[in-house]
Amino acid sequence: MSTVVRIDPTLCRGHAICALFFPGGVELDAWGFGRVVEPRPVARRTVRRALRAAAACPNGAVVVYDDRDGVGASGATPIGTL
Amino acid sequence: MIDLPELRVPPAVVGATTGGVATGTASAGAATGTADGEVRIGGLGEPGTVLLSGPGPGSGSESLAGHRARWGDLPGATGADVDDLLEASALDGRGGGGFPLARKVAAARDAGTAPVLVVNASESEPASGKDRALCVHRPHLVLDGAALAARALGAGAAAVHLHRGDAGPASALARAVEERRAAGVADPRWVLSHGPGRYVSGESSAVAAYLHDGDARPRFTAVPLAVRGPSGRPTVVTNAETVAHLAVVCRIGPAAWAGLGAAASPGTRLATVTGAVPEPGRVLELGGPPTVGEVLVATGVPAPPAAVLVGGYAGTWIDGAEAWQTPFERSALACLAASPGCGLVGVLPHGACGLTETSRLVRWLAGESAGQCGTCVAGLPRLADGLEALAGGRFHRRGLRRVEALGASLLGSGACGHPDAVVRLVRSTLDVFADDVVRHLAGAPCRGADHPPVLAVPAPFLPTAGPRPPEDFT
Repeated sequence: MSTVVRIDPTLCRGHAICALFFPGGVELDAWGFGRVVEPRPVARRTVRRALRAAAACPNGAVVVYDDRDGVGASGATPIGTL
Repeated sequence: MIDLPELRVPPAVVGATTGGVATGTASAGAATGTADGEVRIGGLGEPGTVLLSGPGPGSGSESLAGHRARWGDLPGATGADVDDLLEASALDGRGGGGFPLARKVAAARDAGTAPVLVVNASESEPASGKDRALCVHRPHLVLDGAALAARALGAGAAAVHLHRGDAGPASALARAVEERRAAGVADPRWVLSHGPGRYVSGESSAVAAYLHDGDARPRFTAVPLAVRGPSGRPTVVTNAETVAHLAVVCRIGPAAWAGLGAAASPGTRLATVTGAVPEPGRVLELGGPPTVGEVLVATGVPAPPAAVLVGGYAGTWIDGAEAWQTPFERSALACLAASPGCGLVGVLPHGACGLTETSRLVRWLAGESAGQCGTCVAGLPRLADGLEALAGGRFHRRGLRRVEALGASLLGSGACGHPDAVVRLVRSTLDVFADDVVRHLAGAPCRGADHPPVLAVPAPFLPTAGPRPPEDFT
């Protein structure tokens, strides 16, 4: 199983909390909007950080998907909770 | 392989002489499946055309009777047959992305629940006129193709999405739908949709979203629309020209259709020529495919221009002499980091300034952002500022490096491909007009400063109150 982390740019308002919870996984662009560095974290610890970032985003812009089918995400349903 | 219905090739193709600058002798070869590399260039009703064969532009919208006389009835192919034909023809999307329709259809069918079919005829690209020409003059070819695509998907209804306020295609399609209903054609239920005329509203996720909830803005999609659209149902959004080709494939067979083009780019392709040409906005059908030079000669441009904008207003500039030799098809253009896109060919004459032209395009494109993604809202106007400063000779090396860095930070930042396309346009500008960049940086007067605008830019879209980026980001 692989996991995909994405930031919905239409929801991101640059609170930058994701970068606090998921350093190395999310970087901030020139305007402070979040950007996923590596869309496919594989280590379990990394997934945990990504989920924490997803839970902390006030706009729900960080989404973590299970990517069993390799089409981007299976069913587009975010996986797990903290 | 399935049994094809009796091969019906429009008389214009069989034994036709090709128009314009055609090379080689015309034969029925292409129409019967042997790719002879014959170059075909023709406008509406001109010899050598397939989609555009039939009556000329003066005849208005083609009637069902006229359509049937040339093409016969809607083929009785089943959904599985259409699937095989899509696969065998390798029909690629003609809205800009070039994604194979067979793969979209397969993804939607595999996803299970009732798929939605949307034929995108909204043609948001301001200078492009091919979908409009098809819908106005050959509405039954578009509807035939849509009906066949709906069969392949197992969809009971098909939407044709148009731009609000453009009465021509809307009335032609509405009339065609009435004719078909009266004639009892085995059609899906037709839905004609009229979306707002904004640039990004023609993007596939925006079209799908508009049909779902009336908000015609691109959506962030974690999975392809064909797997799961905004409504939760698999949504296949495909271009009007693409389905018109499908209607032809299902009649003349995939081999004959593919033979009208090259191995890497099967079939014919519609193009719109604009800019410094005798007749801007002329729609041509290209087979073979011809080089950009051959296309331009056919439209009355005898020698290589300064540069050619390919693929759309957010397309790619190519040096005129280089473009002249390049076949107008995907793989050849890809070598120049360009794509046929929606088929737009914009001609920049000698004496005009590519930097000035592009700065106007970028300013307009920045205003066409849907205002959803912060980086696009914040970054595109800055990119336009940079281009204007460069075009106006108010720039130094450092400013140019800032524009390049700005471009890099915009790539991949949006929910749709809008910022990426604008950045690619800017990069091709700095590359193709490198000499002009040097002159402008040196403070030399712009050679094209007094040249009238070449590529017409529509009035800016009136911005609505949208989300603002944080104030302190700079």
